[in-house]
Amino acid sequence: MADDSGNLSIDFLVGFTIFMLAFIWVASMVPGMLIGLQSRTIDYDAVAYRTGVILVEDPGWPAAPAWESYPDGQKDQIIRFGLAVSKDSPNILSEDKLNRFFCSTFSYPDDYHSRAIFGDYNYFFNISVLDEERNQMRSVGDVLPDGYGYIRRLVKIKGLSNTTIGQSQIEKHHYNNTENVSTHEFSVVINNTKLLGEVGDPSYQIDPARDTIIINITDLRSTIKEFPTASPKIVRNGAGRVSITLDSIKVYRWDAGTLSLVRTYDKPYIDGRNTPDTPPIGGIEDNVSLIIDPRVFDIMKAGYSQVYINYTFTVNPDCTFLNNTNNLLANPQGSFSYDYFPENVTQPRLRDGVVEVAVW
Amino acid sequence: MVTEGGQLYTIEGVAAALIMLTTAYLVVGATAVYTPGDAHISDMQMEILGTDALKMMDTPQNFTDTKSPLRQIVETDDGSKFWLLFNNTLNNKTGAYPDHIHFTANYSYRVPSDNSINSSFLNASRNLTGGEHAVRVTKWVIVTKKLPPSAATAQDRAVLVEVLLWRD
Repeated sequence: MADDSGNLSIDFLVGFTIFMLAFIWVASMVPGMLIGLQSRTIDYDAVAYRTGVILVEDPGWPAAPAWESYPDGQKDQIIRFGLAVSKDSPNILSEDKLNRFFCSTFSYPDDYHSRAIFGDYNYFFNISVLDEERNQMRSVGDVLPDGYGYIRRLVKIKGLSNTTIGQSQIEKHHYNNTENVSTHEFSVVINNTKLLGEVGDPSYQIDPARDTIIINITDLRSTIKEFPTASPKIVRNGAGRVSITLDSIKVYRWDAGTLSLVRTYDKPYIDGRNTPDTPPIGGIEDNVSLIIDPRVFDIMKAGYSQVYINYTFTVNPDCTFLNNTNNLLANPQGSFSYDYFPENVTQPRLRDGVVEVAVW
Repeated sequence: MVTEGGQLYTIEGVAAALIMLTTAYLVVGATAVYTPGDAHISDMQMEILGTDALKMMDTPQNFTDTKSPLRQIVETDDGSKFWLLFNNTLNNKTGAYPDHIHFTANYSYRVPSDNSINSSFLNASRNLTGGEHAVRVTKWVIVTKKLPPSAATAQDRAVLVEVLLWRD
């Protein structure tokens, strides 16, 4: 008779096999269930990607007035950083937005975390932007550790438009062909309707309500015709030279066929100084520069209007000087036009750039 | 009395076999789950870089430029300019050292006479051997060109610029 010890019934074997197969199937699913929780690298890469998209493809919020024009006292009203010129032009970054993004008054990490990184987790991060043409690298954040989530985006940086009205422009347009009088007016017209209509692509558009514009007037003394033998003598330089005073800069808007005075502009930069002065400003040597912030146009609600910037100069003794309208209200068509003619205005130009976001 | 029909005599052998099978299954399963996830991320990063690079090359510097650098390259079949511009753009980083992504590029167009597709090689930083794990990026570009070169006149044509990217 056979010994029964060490034997197994086939029923038990079948049951055990089925149990083992089920166990293996369930066990094999466990790594798949945990993969989203375990892998922090995947999470960091996703956050870096999301931040890269926000910075490179979004203009940020608020949009009008744009977030970059909010002063430090109102920075709590900035909801989201975004560096794109507009939502229709991804990868084209605004120079104004970049300058504001990297300004020293935003603090790392709090100001950036809540406006660019987002999420409840306290991520560390580093955001860097290279302006290749200017060989300028700017960054904000911590030093990179060994492992981090990462994204790199290739971009263009839209430069600012500007005009320099110097001796050649003055002679070409006969802006010095005036009487010997004490008061002279010079005007620049910014026709926003035309600027937005002639070039539709925001990447190349001159839009004073979105981008800073710069108006430099140089070689002011070249407009003075010298009469050294006159009494009093009229000379450009040296002892007894003509004194130049900038009395005011007035801003007019063209409304329903008439010009209305909207405001004065009180921040001209004189003779290359680093800080602006407030008119009236005497003792001007040769240059007056205006760096006009988009907020100026936004506050005036002049994003789609014709805006005239009217400089009033006083010279002593009476002489010829920079003058194109004599009286703006009577002769607005004599104004210098800030437009798309490359002879008048240096157009916005796109420069190569790189944006890198690292999160850990 | 229990008979010997349908009995198994070596229970230790069966148990050991099942344990070995279970272990092998779990090891193979665990390996297979993680590898595709990591590859997907680096592929995605390279695809974004390539797409950005082609897009930036197809963007003129200012509005008076009627043709983008990429359009000029295709119109003149200037492979060396493509190599220089694409390589610089693609591998540019904010830090001191550039990246080392390799590429091979060509463009394709339809031949109107027989509806076939022709491809023309642009340039490559290294030849493909077949073992690379490459990602593909493309960009449609409008060019004014005789396509195929035997065409009678230059016309506005859509060509597909296609680039394969990989790392060593």
